[in-house]
Amino acid sequence: MFGLYIARSVPAQPAPFLCYLFRMTGVRLFRFLALFFAGLLLAGFLPAFADDPSSRPTIRVGILAPLSGPFASGGSSFLEAATLAVEQANEGGGILGRRVELVVADSQGRVETAKSEAMRLISREKVFAIVGAYLSEETIGAIEAATAARKILIVPVAATAEITDGVSRDYPRYRYVFRVGYSIPQWAAMMGEFLRQRGVKTYAFVGASIRWNRELAGALKKTLAGSGILPVYEAFYSPRNPAFEPVAVAAAAAAPDFLVLGDPGKNSVVFVKRIREGGSKVPILSVGGSLGDARVVASLPLSGPLYVQAAAWMGTSEAATRYVTAFEKRFGYSPVGYSDTLPHDAMTVLLSAIRAAGRLDTDSVISALEKGAFPGVAGTYRFDASHQATWGPGSPDLHGTVIQWEKDGARIVFPRR
Amino acid sequence: MPGSSFPGADAPGDTAVNPLAQVLVDGIFTGASYALMAAGLALILGVVKVVNLSHGAFFTLGAYVAYVLDSRGVGNPLAAVFMAAVIAFAFGVFLGKSFINPVRSHSFSVAVGSLGFAILFEQAAQMLWGPHPLSIDLGAPLAVVDGVTLRRWGVISFLVSLGLVGGLSHLLSRPLGLPLKLIAEDEEIAGSVGMDVEKIRYLTFGAASAVAAVAGALLAPAMAITPTMGRVPLILSLIVVIASGMEKVWNLFFLAVGLGLLSNVSAYLLAPSWSYVLLLAVICLLLVLRPSGLATVGPSRDY
Repeated sequence: MFGLYIARSVPAQPAPFLCYLFRMTGVRLFRFLALFFAGLLLAGFLPAFADDPSSRPTIRVGILAPLSGPFASGGSSFLEAATLAVEQANEGGGILGRRVELVVADSQGRVETAKSEAMRLISREKVFAIVGAYLSEETIGAIEAATAARKILIVPVAATAEITDGVSRDYPRYRYVFRVGYSIPQWAAMMGEFLRQRGVKTYAFVGASIRWNRELAGALKKTLAGSGILPVYEAFYSPRNPAFEPVAVAAAAAAPDFLVLGDPGKNSVVFVKRIREGGSKVPILSVGGSLGDARVVASLPLSGPLYVQAAAWMGTSEAATRYVTAFEKRFGYSPVGYSDTLPHDAMTVLLSAIRAAGRLDTDSVISALEKGAFPGVAGTYRFDASHQATWGPGSPDLHGTVIQWEKDGARIVFPRR
Repeated sequence: MPGSSFPGADAPGDTAVNPLAQVLVDGIFTGASYALMAAGLALILGVVKVVNLSHGAFFTLGAYVAYVLDSRGVGNPLAAVFMAAVIAFAFGVFLGKSFINPVRSHSFSVAVGSLGFAILFEQAAQMLWGPHPLSIDLGAPLAVVDGVTLRRWGVISFLVSLGLVGGLSHLLSRPLGLPLKLIAEDEEIAGSVGMDVEKIRYLTFGAASAVAAVAGALLAPAMAITPTMGRVPLILSLIVVIASGMEKVWNLFFLAVGLGLLSNVSAYLLAPSWSYVLLLAVICLLLVLRPSGLATVGPSRDY
């Protein structure tokens, strides 16, 4: 009796689990099953949840571009192309298992705004790196903000020498700056090679009265002087009162073999109208930009040859063709091969470098950028000691291209195939 | 050209037979286009007595109207001019009645408000048509006379400008233009004789906006159409209007043509970057000598 009592009130040993389960009924059984399946669901989802980039903190990258004001055209292409690069990266599983998030800032084409917006991206938005700015003057301001905060700045378009000079001059301070786009001497070298191949003896240079246009004219003169190719006319119009007609008359009167247009903006479109309206058929080579836009060129007189320099064009490589197709599908118009292609590649290079570094650490990414080779739309990017991408006619990867507009579209004429 | 592989590369006759004559003719046309842009602004400054910084926005509106019509197959400039004038008049009347008239006595408010409207319009244009430059087919030049090309839109803007300024001058010399003249001279007297001064002001504002839009529609094929394209014409118009004064309409035309010639000749003989500097220098000199503008008789300095 006593023994039986002990056995009933205090079990000597815990009941086996299955016996316990079979004895459960009603509410207890329901609670158990609910807990069991919830646990099962949680266990099943956890690994997948951990692999999903959307569940982890994003990699925030700042975009600094002029989205309003006179340079909004280039800035908007810049943003679209960078967005495309990020979308492609996220569709491919993100970077280091994390999604990439763009944080956009409008520099308005103003130096002070570019600097303050770069500071906002860094201090308030906590971006890991910045891709920008667009104009050379803006970029100088952004460099000061980025280097002070030790943030990586990838420069896609701005061409002035000052951008990478700092890296050579004061590496510890400026090592955060990398330029994906071509520098002015590289740009001049690529255009100069095209002019040499055409057998040009004289040329005229017309651009806007802005610093980098004057620098480009000087670099082109220096590049071509060795080949005996001389400028017969040089003019820089004021963007406030461009006075196109007399410049067009004087440029045509100088009878150059080629006319080089240094302004990538809308004024180059107006200038082409003026010079063709005046009857001149002089071949024109544009640095790119607005004259690379098929919608604009469709309304221009093609009474004389019109060439446009670009980083890449549909057909220059499989990557370029894929990019153009994706861009057209996403945004409904063709890229111009310059103010969109270079920002796209700037973003691609940055994300590839983060992937190569294996962690989101500024020093590791800088090291990866310095040592690595990164495929983009225009070719494979490598950086020299001044953090300048190695563009140029002698480069196996980044040599740019020149197209000629014809009635039915563009034809690639350089490099010769 | 040796080694060239494209048609037209070594085409003869590439240059104007007489470059200086071409520059002078182009200078007259350029000046006429300044006058075309400035005529509306002069009307606002004279009758409504405000500095309207949204004038460039109406110029842009006219250019976009021309583009929209052209892209839909309506390439007739008259249709573009008519549509642009009607739309800009409606906008101008609305802006004049709802904003300019109530704050007219506060010059800073008018300047800031009209500038705000211009920026708002730029943003709206960017949202509607995008930030990228748009372009309309220029068409062939009208004629080549003794090696001088008569640019199509130069000739048209010259004729329209001449007609507009002539028409305005004629209007102001007739009884029909009396209310405008009276309000410009003394609006209290105009009000005391029973004129609806407020209505005349906003109608004038609408008409001037329509003139700016007509200029934009006419010059659109010769330009690249962008949301910010009205900024340069606004500044040039202000320069012309302030320097010419409002008393004599023809002064505006002749000063504009003079400035166009100066701008083009200096760009050709010196350098293009000099053209704007010289233009501003001449205006500064003019204003120092005649602060009320060219129209004043004899020196009228403030000391």
